Amino acid sequence: MEVSHSVKERTIAENSLVILLQGLCGHVTTVDLRDESTATGRVTNVDAFMNVRLAEVAFTDRQGTVSHLDELFVTGRNVRYVHIPDEVDIRATIERQLQAIHRVRYFGGRDKGRKEFPRAKNK
Amino acid sequence: GGAMSFLKRFSPPAEGVRHQQPDTEAVLAGRTLGAGTLYIAESRLSWLENSGVGFSLDYPTISLHAVSRDLSAYPWEHLYVMVNAKFEEEETKEAPMAEGEEEEDSDDDAEPIAEFRFVPSDKSALEAMFSAMCECQALHPDPDDDDSDNDYEGEEYDVEARELEQGDIPSFYTYEEGLSHLTAEGQATLERLEGMLAQSVSAQYNMAGVRTEDSIREFEDGMEVDIAPVVAGQFEDAEVDH
Repeated sequence: MEVSHSVKERTIAENSLVILLQGLCGHVTTVDLRDESTATGRVTNVDAFMNVRLAEVAFTDRQGTVSHLDELFVTGRNVRYVHIPDEVDIRATIERQLQAIHRVRYFGGRDKGRKEFPRAKNK
Repeated sequence: GGAMSFLKRFSPPAEGVRHQQPDTEAVLAGRTLGAGTLYIAESRLSWLENSGVGFSLDYPTISLHAVSRDLSAYPWEHLYVMVNAKFEEEETKEAPMAEGEEEEDSDDDAEPIAEFRFVPSDKSALEAMFSAMCECQALHPDPDDDDSDNDYEGEEYDVEARELEQGDIPSFYTYEEGLSHLTAEGQATLERLEGMLAQSVSAQYNMAGVRTEDSIREFEDGMEVDIAPVVAGQFEDAEVDH
């Protein structure tokens, strides 16, 4: 589960629905662009600014012509709509992404100080 | 054909060049501009023909870019760049027909589109070119994004501090972002620790990262970190259960 290395981007993601899009990595979906072209491909990255990176893309331009692109990067500004695939559980995806962010954030340990020993766990 | 009047003479970018690709043809709306060098710099995307004239594109005007290897769509593998701007060119078949074509988006006038293709003679460079553009594009988020309350400048670190309860607990930073947030004391501590790690090859320490008495004292000021002095055999009965 990849989470941005940027504190700022993690904060933005945590406070907007872009966090859901970030959870779509690995899924094939369709992105509708502002100019009414569409791109269908596998999501490889979505950043906090909603820039979307897709692989193995079928791109349909405004005129309806389809071409294939190995990789596509669309700026967030030009994304009109991202389809959420049916198989994606939206709530679970958001929760998973939030957990990933919190794992990074709380790396030092929730409680004050840092324990040398791991907490006692059930065997 | 007529000369492209938007071509100018300028020097290649000197700073922040993430990728440079010589022997790259530039094509605008199906018409070739010649062979030259593509400079993917943090400030802008530039292409200079071998004669020294060329053009630059600002990242905020770039809608998307892609690697195209579909030879049925275009006969050469290339980097495709769609720009939200108009470039002077002779009329081509691809120019949007405004009259009599009511089905077409009427926002063709509001949404100028220019399609550039950069065809490197070295096709294997396309991945690197694509990635370099992604990185540079990410440096230019949309300033007009009124959709967001993305005004986290200055506030962002407080958000994380609040989340961390007391705010005294050190945050976990990665990469350069963390380095820039070290105080002078933190910087000195980092240097000291790095020096210690470099020396800690000897059997003097039971494990890497063990602090000496000196450094424990240093930590008493700003950071609340429990450091137990290591005793031989201390960890033997630990339940390491990650």
